[in-house]
Amino acid sequence: MKRRKVLFIHLSNIRLLAKKFAIVILFLSAFVFMLINKTDTVIIEKTSSVATDVVSPLVDVLVIPARVVAGIYDYFRDLKQVYKENQKLRDENRRLVMVSSRARALEIENKLLSGLLNYTPPAEATFVTARVIAEEGDAFSHSLIAYTGLSNKVKKGQVVLSDSGVVGRIEQVGKMYSKIILITDINSKIPVMVERTRVRGILSGDNTSVPKMIFIPLEASLTVGDRVVTSGVAGVFPPGLPIGKIVSTEKNNVKIKTFSNLDRLEYVKIVDYGLDDVMEHAEQDGVLGKQDE
Amino acid sequence: MSDDWSENLTLYFQRMLPLFSSLLLVFLSYVPLNIAGMGGIRPAMGMICVYFWLIHRPDVFNLGSVYFLGLIEDIISSAPFGSNVFALLVLYVLVSNLSRFFNGKPFVVMWYGFALLALIAFFSRWLLVSVYYSQFIPLPSVLFCYLFSVAVYPFLSLVNAFVQNALMKDEG
Repeated sequence: MKRRKVLFIHLSNIRLLAKKFAIVILFLSAFVFMLINKTDTVIIEKTSSVATDVVSPLVDVLVIPARVVAGIYDYFRDLKQVYKENQKLRDENRRLVMVSSRARALEIENKLLSGLLNYTPPAEATFVTARVIAEEGDAFSHSLIAYTGLSNKVKKGQVVLSDSGVVGRIEQVGKMYSKIILITDINSKIPVMVERTRVRGILSGDNTSVPKMIFIPLEASLTVGDRVVTSGVAGVFPPGLPIGKIVSTEKNNVKIKTFSNLDRLEYVKIVDYGLDDVMEHAEQDGVLGKQDE
Repeated sequence: MSDDWSENLTLYFQRMLPLFSSLLLVFLSYVPLNIAGMGGIRPAMGMICVYFWLIHRPDVFNLGSVYFLGLIEDIISSAPFGSNVFALLVLYVLVSNLSRFFNGKPFVVMWYGFALLALIAFFSRWLLVSVYYSQFIPLPSVLFCYLFSVAVYPFLSLVNAFVQNALMKDEG
């Protein structure tokens, strides 16, 4: 009886002590999480993917009702602009018809010349279209969660596109859901070049809506409005994918406005360019943009 | 016997309501609404809920709830894992020590209180994440996110107040 009483006192003491230090322990756990996350281990990645798969359906069920409400707001807002936009689209359509016929002629010419040079074209890209179920665009990260995963053969590092250009890359793949790091996220580093001058650099996200282009040669001539595309260096992103255009060329601060409207993505295209080997090497070398310094 | 059981269950559910409603609001904040002009920005929903419930019902919203909410935010977010937990714990420490200054005061005082304490929580998270990345996160975007959270606080307080007054009235 006495022994039980002593044990009870011990237990209540431990509980009191734990309560007292709970906040310290929880703070320490947050630091430990961050440290483990920094080491980028496979176990953490897998655990995180499973956790995303568990939590994402809870966000997913809210998407449809929330979108209906937002859609009503958007409908009334857009009504005002319909006429103006219609005029603009007619003009753009006229211009695109001309561009399209020119592109068709160039495509035929390209095929003929490729045949003459005995050129081996790269493997055809395959893609999966996925619905965006969660987005985050705050000061600490820019990412999306899309409803697709291992079941659709999505792999880490694959390129994510919208209808206007590069959106980001796959960062984490769960069974049904995948996390996408946007090109504006601080973790994103993509080799790019200016289409007109072929000047190369790295597109570096900084958690703002206009990422920077860094590591540009000093003598490079850049003009506001120049188109920026992927350079294909390192092989993770194929060359020529549209990224955006230059909006500021101040010293050491070349800013790019992305072609894709990253805050209004409903569906994205996850493209497999058959670059699995390259991606494995890139991951080992840290080319995929995770901050390893 | 059966009445007791259902009464206990209702009581238990009511005690969990603040956490459930906070989770629901956090999930909602990640839903892509595609509203033009919003710029993909989302309020710090976790902070808003933690502040509200710790001020109004600290008996049903404890340290465990704060930690759990932070973990869920960390799972959805792609910010360094643990940074959301850290920010919410900072807010927990601040609110639990200073709540006597805001409790029972007019709403405006509580709003100012949130503005002040959330600023400290945002700043400490900014510092921690900057150390993690070994580079400073642009301060203007952090400030914008903070101001947005402060601006929407009254509306989200209304939602939380509804949960408190309409759904928890038996216990309140």
